[in-house]
Order: sequence, then C-alpha cells, then structure tokens
Amino acid sequence: MQQKKEFIKAIKENEGIIFKVTSIYCANKEDQKDLYQEIVYQLWKSFPLFRNESKITTWMYRVALNTSITHLKKEKRNGTKLELDELVEYKIEHKNTLIEERIQILYAHIKNLNTIEKGIILLYLEGKSYDEIASITGFSNTNIGTRIGRIKQKLKSEIKK
Amino acid sequence: MDLDEMKRTWGEMSNEIDKQKKLTDKLIIIMTQQKYNNVLRGISIPETIGAVICFATVLFVAFNFNKLDTWYLQLSGLLSLIILIVLPVLSLRSIQKMNAINISKNNLKQTIIDFNKAKQQFNTVQKTGFYMSFIILIISLPVASKLLSNKDLFLEEKVWLWYIPFGFLFLYLFAKMVYKYYKKSTTNAENLLKELDN
Repeated sequence: MQQKKEFIKAIKENEGIIFKVTSIYCANKEDQKDLYQEIVYQLWKSFPLFRNESKITTWMYRVALNTSITHLKKEKRNGTKLELDELVEYKIEHKNTLIEERIQILYAHIKNLNTIEKGIILLYLEGKSYDEIASITGFSNTNIGTRIGRIKQKLKSEIKK
Repeated sequence: MDLDEMKRTWGEMSNEIDKQKKLTDKLIIIMTQQKYNNVLRGISIPETIGAVICFATVLFVAFNFNKLDTWYLQLSGLLSLIILIVLPVLSLRSIQKMNAINISKNNLKQTIIDFNKAKQQFNTVQKTGFYMSFIILIISLPVASKLLSNKDLFLEEKVWLWYIPFGFLFLYLFAKMVYKYYKKSTTNAENLLKELDN
C-alpha cells in the first residue's frame, strides 16, 4: 500500500517526463496514448527494483526511453486500447501564436533525428548534464559531445535548405 | 532554429506542461491494472493460437500413431511431431526473450543491443518455421488422410498431381509476402545498430 502511494506520488510529480518522451517518439495521438500507458505500466512493474541509487527522474527517463525503443519496434499488439482520451491531451498551445509556431518547428526538427539522437536531444533539452545523459544512454561523455555536435550540424543544414 | 533556441522553446513548453496536472490517483491505478490485463491478452496472440493448434495436433497424431502402418507414413508422422513440437517452443521462447529485456536497469545502448539480438533471433525462428511449412505441406496430408479416413495417399497419384502444384503456388505467394516483411524488419534492426556505431 505504501509502495503504491509512493509510486503514485512519483508519477504525479513527473508526469511531464512521460508526456515529453512519448511526444518525440510517436507520430500520432493513438500511438502516443498507447506508449504513455505502456511507460506507466513498465514504471509500475519496475518500481520495486528502484532503490534510490540514482535520482528518480534519471530512473524514469531510462525506463521511458527504453520502453519507447522496445515498444515501438515491436509489432502492434492486439490488446484493447484504454479509453483515456484526456490522459495525454496536455495543452501545449499557447496564447502567443509565435511560441506555438516555435514549438511546432521544434518538433519538426526533432522528428528528423534518428532514434538515438531523439533520446539524446530530449535529455539535452531537459537540461541534463553530459554525465547524466551518459548514465541514461550508456554512451561515453565524449561520444555524447560528438553526437550533440552532429545534431547541431544537422540543424544548421536544415536551416540552409 | 538552432540548438539554443530549441532549448528555450522546450523550456517554455515544459513550463506549460508542468502547470497542467492531468493524472489522478485513480487514473494511474486504472492505467496500470488495465494495461496489465491488456498485456496478458495482447501477448503474441497469433503465436499462442499457433502453438495451441500445433500441440493439439501433436496429441492427436501421438495417440493415433499406431494407425500409421507403413514406414513412410511413420516417418512422416514422426517428422510432423518433431516440427510441431520444436517450432512453437522456439517461437514462444524467442518472444519471451524479447519481453524479458531489463528496461529498468539497462541503459539505452544496452537495451538497443539486447532488443535487436532478441528480435533477430525471433526473425530467424519465424523464417525457419516458414521453410519448415514446405515440409509440413508434403508430409501432413498423407498422415491426416491415414488417421482421419484410413487412406494411404502415397498410393494415390492423382491427389499429388493437384496438391503439390497448388500447395507450392500458395506457399510461393505467401513466401513473397513473408520475405518482404522480414526484410523490412531486419533492415530496421540493422539501421538501429548502425546508429549505435555512428
């Protein structure tokens, strides 16, 4: 019971992480809802194994990214979808249309990146240090630096087009 | 948009999202419980149905094996039994391996490596199963005919004249579809591994 309470608290405090991970890995709302639920389920399943060796957010990013990679590469399952329409309907529309436009451009750039780059850029945009990105992804700090440099180059070449 | 501008925009978006608390206690509990049920119901339905059919056939052939009275029917029956036992077991095991990846402890890199390895094993099993279906095509009909109507089809040439061409035509068309699917699946797996090395 106590564990359930702790889990619910952790999820509620960090629900934005799950939404942001699903938003970069899914092309449509249907897939996003399915992945969102899968991530919450995987977090719940592995919550007893979480022993505070790392920050709870680091653990959540790790599970969310790993789930995205394995879940989306599997064939579609036939399980019934939940009717939780309101679940991932976070409003990212802004009163200021300029910001809304910038968010759309931001996502358009991210969609052009490959699977690993998407994960790295998400962590970078979330303000994670190279050490944290390295610990979540398993690449060395130098490799993270190289990959971020390459992403910058990609963005530059996209602007030129 | 450069990386710094992306970071600023991402920050603004994150603030908007953080202000919106969408999840309730009830919703989280329902989600984990329903998802659990979904996973149970959704686990590899085609493979599970296939395995049940195979094992039911195995039981039927095994209990009636004494009715196969010639060496070639016995050989066909024995081969059918081996294929129908080994393939579903390998198939279900490869799915189990794919689902057993430790996404809680693994980092992203290790998850990709483990998942691709499991996925490739799964593809190999599926491909083997497909090639085995050509053998099953030839050996299952005489066994079934003997057990169900006590007829030895190996002695009836007419049946083979239509059964073999039609059977192979069907399998050829099916093969083209399967090949296309596995080629795509293998290419996707290879591309992801290439991303790791870059």
